[in-house]
Amino acid sequence: MSQTMGGPGAGDAVLRLAGVSKAFGGLQVIDDVSFEVRQGSRTALIGPNGAGKSTVFNLISGVYPIDAGRIEALGRDITRASIVERVRLGLARSFQNIRLMPHLSTVENVMLGEHHRSRALQWISSARATERARAALDEAGLGTYPGQVVADLPYGIQKRIEVVRALMAQPRILMLDEPAAGLNEVETAELRRLLERVSASGITLLVVEHDMPFVRELCDHVVVLNFGRKIFQGTPEAVHQDPAVLEAYLGQQASPAMEAHDAA
Amino acid sequence: MILLQQIVNGLMLGGILAFVAVAFTLSIGMLNFLNFTIPALFMVAGMVAWALSTAGPHLGGFGWHWLAAAAVGVGVVILASLLIERVTYRYMKARFGDATEHALPLVSSLGFLIVFEHLAMALWGGDPQRFTLPFKDTTITVGGLLFGVPHLIALVLAIVLVALLNGLLKGTQLGRALRAIAENPNAATLMGVEVQRIVPVVFVIAGVLSAFAGILYAASYGTVTPFMGEAIATDAIAGMVLGGLGNIWGAIAGGLVVGLVKVLAISTFGAEIEKIPVWGLLLLILVVRPQGLFGGSKIGKGKF
Amino acid sequence: MSGYLSGLLGLLAVNVIVAYSVFVPAAAGLLNLGAAGFVLVGAYTAGGLSSLQGLPLVLAAPAGAAMAGLVAFAVSFPILRTRGIYMVLATFAFAEVVAGVLLNIPALGGAAGLTVMQFAGLDVVVPVALGVVAFVFWLMRTRFGLAVRALHDDESVAHLFGVNLRLTQVAALTIGGAIGGLGGAMLVHQFNFIDVQSTGVLFSIYVLLYVLMGGTQTVWGPLVGALFFTLVPEGLRRLSELDPALKFLEGGRYMVFGVAVVLLMMVRPQGLVTRTMLERLTTRSAEGGAAR
Repeated sequence: MSQTMGGPGAGDAVLRLAGVSKAFGGLQVIDDVSFEVRQGSRTALIGPNGAGKSTVFNLISGVYPIDAGRIEALGRDITRASIVERVRLGLARSFQNIRLMPHLSTVENVMLGEHHRSRALQWISSARATERARAALDEAGLGTYPGQVVADLPYGIQKRIEVVRALMAQPRILMLDEPAAGLNEVETAELRRLLERVSASGITLLVVEHDMPFVRELCDHVVVLNFGRKIFQGTPEAVHQDPAVLEAYLGQQASPAMEAHDAA
Repeated sequence: MILLQQIVNGLMLGGILAFVAVAFTLSIGMLNFLNFTIPALFMVAGMVAWALSTAGPHLGGFGWHWLAAAAVGVGVVILASLLIERVTYRYMKARFGDATEHALPLVSSLGFLIVFEHLAMALWGGDPQRFTLPFKDTTITVGGLLFGVPHLIALVLAIVLVALLNGLLKGTQLGRALRAIAENPNAATLMGVEVQRIVPVVFVIAGVLSAFAGILYAASYGTVTPFMGEAIATDAIAGMVLGGLGNIWGAIAGGLVVGLVKVLAISTFGAEIEKIPVWGLLLLILVVRPQGLFGGSKIGKGKF
Repeated sequence: MSGYLSGLLGLLAVNVIVAYSVFVPAAAGLLNLGAAGFVLVGAYTAGGLSSLQGLPLVLAAPAGAAMAGLVAFAVSFPILRTRGIYMVLATFAFAEVVAGVLLNIPALGGAAGLTVMQFAGLDVVVPVALGVVAFVFWLMRTRFGLAVRALHDDESVAHLFGVNLRLTQVAALTIGGAIGGLGGAMLVHQFNFIDVQSTGVLFSIYVLLYVLMGGTQTVWGPLVGALFFTLVPEGLRRLSELDPALKFLEGGRYMVFGVAVVLLMMVRPQGLVTRTMLERLTTRSAEGGAAR
């Protein structure tokens, strides 16, 4: 396994997984995974289908507890922290299959992002919060849809709304699970521009993706998983040359059970 | 002695309740469907039987023999059950996938309840009607205790039918298919079970049980009204919960217990108190031990 | 205004209030088949205070609402431990227990019911109903309203972003209960009478049905539902009086409601008024659309 530590714009590690393992039933879905994500970096988490990428996200955001190992984020050990505590700490995420509130409007969905930080007065009048949500949507280029019920909006728009919702949580680490999936070229370019602005403002990006050109253009660091194990960590350029990665993508087939867990 | 007689009376009432409780529990256990048309069908059978035999000619009374009238009552209920299945369960499953995820069938069945009640009211008026069957007041005396014959028949029939039902579910192919559907309708389809043809069977069985109960109720108490379903519904639901949702033997036991508690409470404290012990107990069970006294079958996904 | 019309309007006002009492928990995803329970608590509390203690309506009615709210709060904890069908059954059981308890308080009339002397005319009931509507409209625009509807759509994601599930649900039930109590207070003083029999299982069923019929996605739904339920059967009855040939309409007027429910569940289960519909209507009149 080749390893390259640290990346451009090196700061401290804002996220560190050490020896993290997780099994579902008898199946070892994540096996002794360790990697670091540096402050301000744009890291991609890639791997063939069933490699366990979404599971790693779920472990980091606290949806599942880990079996072994440690997770540290923003200077704190979050291994046993609750989901909300992690959000409060500065970890926000989007989901692989869109999980917006279908019957709420765009603005309302986005407003939910900062719900955990709402102060007492905001419970009585949400006018300012509504303004903030609208502003965030405008910035992301989604300003024309504030009142629309999200279930009626096209898939590509919904995906980006989810990103804005996560941004409303004012995260320090933004975790996006396949944000470009299902987007056409124009939408993908818009997403990339949005994420570049987000990154420029100091937020660390961790992105699960299949879209390799997208990863190459956006990310400065790549972690590769296969069968629940980390097989490579380094620059996007180096990824293509690594023999283990090539073998993973071209050679083996992922097991269907792991795919199911990966997609969960 | 009086206490013993009251216990007997309670069990007699419970026998009829048991029928309806089994119908409810069958719908919930098999289809995750709290079927409020059951009390309506209970009423329909009773009223149709009354109308055809005893009602005045302008109300449809042809002076038929009560058995024939009852048979037609059951027949009407069977047809109604098939209609209800089509419209509440099958249609919605086709349109919305897992219908049990929504409250739709429940709400739809409530709609049907209203339709049937008011249909009966429109046809026959809202007043209670006397419906005297030949053996209504016949009693057997055993050891100084009075047993009403219709009640006894109800109890025995309930036990026999449930035993048959149990045998059907465990021993026949139809029964296995039904249990497969109860576990997981989609998987059942994948295994080749013709869900669409079998689900109506559940509706019909529940309907027939309700119909029998309605006629036996009329036979036992001599009155029918368009609202007779309501009173029985609440007690039968109580019996179902006590016995555990989906547990058909439990439903019999539950129905008996409810009948017992009701009669004893009324005779000891007066008619007004009876709701409290029954429903207070029920609320407690729902919160503390939702699987009932005897444990119910696992139901769907729990989320409504 | 004729006596008939004012009676109808009074009934409509009460139905609207009761509709919103079921709406608030329903918006959070909690189906209440025991609306009668809260209405009875409010009605008997307010009615008892006004007729037995001589309290003026302006004190008795809020007392009824407060009592119902208190009961709702107390009962919400056990009820919220249940889910799905069990919860529906639990709310049902709750209403029966309330009925059972009230039947056994002889001072309140027992099975014969409670008669009260004070009369609440349209000048009281209509403003109260409007007040309730305005309150719920405002409530659903606050963060609390957002939390409620987020909870309804996706509990786990709502939780993820910081919605306190238990608290929100308890609050929704409590507020719904208090509104129901207020409705009961209005009811008993409109008709000068309340009894357990007439405000029982069927009452709870009707309320739930017309709230769901109106739609629980928007605050307009319960209003539409209450309007339909109050006016359509009455309309049919008036129609039947016009021509002897239409006599059947009178007997069938609630049947129509039942049939409407069945049909609606088949073709438009989300109810008559949906968010999408509301958005389309408001976008046509306002610029850019309003965030509701």
